[in-house]
Amino acid sequence: MLHNRIFQFLLIYTLGLLLLLAVKYIFGLSDYVIPGFWLLWRTAGDVSVRYAVDGVNTLSVAIIGQMASILLAFFIGIVGRQATWLGTIVKVAAYNVQAYPIVAIAPIIFILLGDGFLSRLFIAAMICYFPLLLSVVGIMSEPVTDIEHFYQQTGRMRWQLEVKIRAFENLSKLTTVIAGSSTLALAGTIVAEFIAANAGIGYNIRIALYQSDLAKILVALFMIGITLSIYQGLLEILGHSVRKAWTS
Amino acid sequence: MQVKCRNIAFRYPGAEKALFKELNLEFIRPGLHALFGTSGVGKSSLARIISGAVDAPAGVVADDAQPLLYAHNLERLPDWSAIGDQLSRVTPPHNRDKIERLLDLCGLNGHTGQRFSRLSLGQQNRINLVRYLVQDFQVLIFDECLANVDELRRRNILLHIKAMYPEKMFIYISHHVIEVATYCRDVWVLRDSSKLPQAVLTQGLDLFPDQQPASTRLHQVMLEIMNAA
Repeated sequence: MLHNRIFQFLLIYTLGLLLLLAVKYIFGLSDYVIPGFWLLWRTAGDVSVRYAVDGVNTLSVAIIGQMASILLAFFIGIVGRQATWLGTIVKVAAYNVQAYPIVAIAPIIFILLGDGFLSRLFIAAMICYFPLLLSVVGIMSEPVTDIEHFYQQTGRMRWQLEVKIRAFENLSKLTTVIAGSSTLALAGTIVAEFIAANAGIGYNIRIALYQSDLAKILVALFMIGITLSIYQGLLEILGHSVRKAWTS
Repeated sequence: MQVKCRNIAFRYPGAEKALFKELNLEFIRPGLHALFGTSGVGKSSLARIISGAVDAPAGVVADDAQPLLYAHNLERLPDWSAIGDQLSRVTPPHNRDKIERLLDLCGLNGHTGQRFSRLSLGQQNRINLVRYLVQDFQVLIFDECLANVDELRRRNILLHIKAMYPEKMFIYISHHVIEVATYCRDVWVLRDSSKLPQAVLTQGLDLFPDQQPASTRLHQVMLEIMNAA
């Protein structure tokens, strides 16, 4: 799983890079527009360690934001699974809020919280929270009637058992959603850093953009891709282990 | 002990035709009774109405036999642990002594360490039936719960259930006319809602272990059931 993720990323990144270089050499563009291979190589040597550290910094914020989102989504999803007025309100609110582009709220968060760790965390969590919530609410509010029937008939059904049954029956779906939400969390963190933060790989991209330094941006993209691939691969391995432990 | 349905009317939302119109039937004694009928006449729907899982907009279901349980053949056990562990967990302590006997009767003794999904369809149906039989109940409706089980074992299970639970009422939903005619006492034949009355009572042979049916009498009962349907 991990190998596949890394291999897929490297393949796509290489193809993208080759395309850029092809455009550069076909149209005779200068290094200022698209850097040549050797300039890219030199830039990577200069900034890769710093960018790797910043990439890990960004990823750590994204992971904390994603974990907070997962916990909150499960809490709200479990409350909202019931066909009560509270459950209905939670579902309707989730569907409506999800339709709004959360990134547009980011400037308000920076105005209120300043450009530190908290703003990045908050935006990362918000961006991956709503898709997660929709999936969790969907899974938790869908009865698994062929299993739940017995427990309802015999009066044994408790909310913990109901949640356990529904989570178990949808484990593959849940792990896929959680792995997928890591991309959103990282995107949220980078967007936050890109808008106004003072640290992280997104902050470096913003500086490189002001300098019109595409080589640095390409190195930063490589760092983002490789850290995300490793993280998603690890999440998939974790999901696979949980499934295996629960079913074997 | 009785389960009575009086003037039950029911129609699924969006359906053109009513499933039940003034349906009347009653089960009034302990023993193995049957609800028989062709596919689609509403046997499972009636079972759901009797068990309270579905509300009928008109009519009354009266029973003085609680707890009343409804088991059907599409049920699954969760796959997170072996069936033996799950059976122990859902069995009331005073019924634990029945587990071994019922597992033996259903031919499942060597399978308790397995997960539900690893069992054959017949084994899955039998383990589902066993977990209902170890509950505290007065009435158990079992809906095609012996599907995919061979004839000999079905016969064995039905006969032993009757012998093990003489004070309980069982309502057996089946398409198997020989089985219903041979082992059941009251056989209610459910018919299409265009026919009145919608439920007709016939008497089965209600055989017990070591009894053999007279072939002419069995044929007569089977004919009565088929004619009623």
